[in-house]
Amino acid sequence: MNNYRYFLLGIPAIVWQILFFYIPLIFIVGLSFSGATYSQYFAPFFGATYFSIIARSLILALSNAIVCTLIAYPLAYFLAFRAGRFKYFFLFLVILPFWNNFLLHISAWIFVLDRHGVLNNFLTGVGLIQDPLPILNSPVAVGIMMVYFYLPFMVLPLYATLERFDRRLIEASSDLGATWWQTVTKILLPLSMSGIRSGFFLVFIPSFGEFAIPEFMGGNKTMYVGSLVSHLILGSQTVASGAAFTLISSVVLLVAVIFIYWCLRSKSEGRGSKEWNSKEQSSERIGDV
Amino acid sequence: MRSIKIAGVFKALRGESILEDISLTIPAGKFFALLGPSGCGKTTLLRLIGGFESVDQGQIFLGNEEITHKPINQRKINTVFQNYALFPHLTVFENIAYSQTIRKVDPRIIRQKVVKMLKAVHLEAHIDKTIDQLSGGQQQRVALARAIINEPEVLLLDEPLAALDFKLREKMLLELIELQDKLKTTFVYVTHDQFEALTVADQMAIMNQDGFIEQIGTPKEIYEFPVSSFVASFVGTTNILQGVLRINENNDGKNYIDIPELGLFQVDIPVKKSFLLQGNRDVFMSIRPEKLFITKREAAGFTNGMRGLVESIVYHGRSTQYNVRLANGQLLQVFEQNEEHFPQDVIDYDHEVFLYWQKENAVVLER
Repeated sequence: MNNYRYFLLGIPAIVWQILFFYIPLIFIVGLSFSGATYSQYFAPFFGATYFSIIARSLILALSNAIVCTLIAYPLAYFLAFRAGRFKYFFLFLVILPFWNNFLLHISAWIFVLDRHGVLNNFLTGVGLIQDPLPILNSPVAVGIMMVYFYLPFMVLPLYATLERFDRRLIEASSDLGATWWQTVTKILLPLSMSGIRSGFFLVFIPSFGEFAIPEFMGGNKTMYVGSLVSHLILGSQTVASGAAFTLISSVVLLVAVIFIYWCLRSKSEGRGSKEWNSKEQSSERIGDV
Repeated sequence: MRSIKIAGVFKALRGESILEDISLTIPAGKFFALLGPSGCGKTTLLRLIGGFESVDQGQIFLGNEEITHKPINQRKINTVFQNYALFPHLTVFENIAYSQTIRKVDPRIIRQKVVKMLKAVHLEAHIDKTIDQLSGGQQQRVALARAIINEPEVLLLDEPLAALDFKLREKMLLELIELQDKLKTTFVYVTHDQFEALTVADQMAIMNQDGFIEQIGTPKEIYEFPVSSFVASFVGTTNILQGVLRINENNDGKNYIDIPELGLFQVDIPVKKSFLLQGNRDVFMSIRPEKLFITKREAAGFTNGMRGLVESIVYHGRSTQYNVRLANGQLLQVFEQNEEHFPQDVIDYDHEVFLYWQKENAVVLER
């Protein structure tokens, strides 16, 4: 009953969203159609540069999300099942980086990865390499920083899912003869798919438009969607192009998200029985963007 | 099927000792019930047998083979979990087939086996359903089928019927007995419910609050001849009276219990308990409510009798419970079968009554 009352609770968020997201979005759409020829809409499809920038951002976001999943899953497993009473301490360590300013992290990493930075000094010092590695201002540096920054966004939803995981299912699986690995692949992974998916989107979507990290760590050799948008929008002659490019890349992102969602759907959902665990469902909502 | 032997097992969890020096033999091919109050450690003992917890000290044998440190997935023991622990992302078929899929058995053979199992638990029609489409009782059956498909030597059942309503529980108990009879697998059934234990068990063990096993025996032995006041009052209902044992008091070769303010009552001391026959020992006498005969008139032919006042009456349907206040202030429970629609001599509140019993029907217990 009285569903509209619950609706009232949503009003502040809805107003906020309309004022600061949907109205600006309409402006962007309007801007994108300014000018006489609409050539800004066709440029990305003909210009190899634009196309390759979108592709590069997609690859960056996808590989970042995959690497984060591979690193975060074992970590979340450890936190949820093995850390015992130290788990809140470890969890605290995971979110600790959020307490510092982002720019501080960037300068710290520059200090580490620089030609004469900590890492190169160490490697040359112990004699592993002769000449310093040109890591900074390369895609490698971008990748390191991306994973570093986005990892907690993957760990937290995964931890939330695994923490609530019904341990008796794991016991039942071993009781029925499964090895640890069989239990992980047949029980744990399929049943934690919603957590993986939440984390995947939390990492993938912002990574696609990431601006600061490629800018600072990648030098200005390689362009990503974020850097191109800022470049176009801030340029006086190219605002319309920037708006059009923003919209096009958003559509690409949307298609990518739908495709990934389809790939990561859990087995039970494929069967049309989603309601098996209401807790499982709520964890999904935290992450779904 | 093989037996389980537990030899001097110790187990502590989170620094708290749960089991101390437990030794127990569970006979092969029998329906064995482990009965005890909540939190007594019976589930821990079951988990040690299943391999879910590691033993601190002591040994566990399956038949002659020591399995103390054998990994869970290599023990020929399967478990029916409390609340079932079915895999929610798999269908009924896939759940039951799980142990076979793991072992990479030929899919055609798996199919045959699963269908056979479903028949055994009367679930043929539900083979392709998901778990959330089943009722509690049906989930229970799937859990059972999943556990027995691999033909374990021992089947562990951890409070398997706790979540079901009474009627369904009675029905499942009978089905479990039938199934055990057919499979001849050793069943170990853990419960806090004495009705379930008495119903299913060939043999049962009673565990007390501190995790010690007080008595092992058939349900009848346990009920009729409890060895301690704990067993007497935990299994079924009983009246416990305190007194002093008087040996051959009247030089008539008979033994009496002297209950303060109530008098002397004849008791039987079986040979097994002859150690009680030394001096005037403080003892308990346990007498079950249904072993007492309640009447408003004096009656003959009983070895013992006493008077009391009916304080309250509880009507149970098949029987009526009278709570009778004795001269020493103690309240005794008495069950009478409701054999007639219209009994002649109705006993009512505040009536003075006589309680009679035969000496063989009371049990003398150490105090």
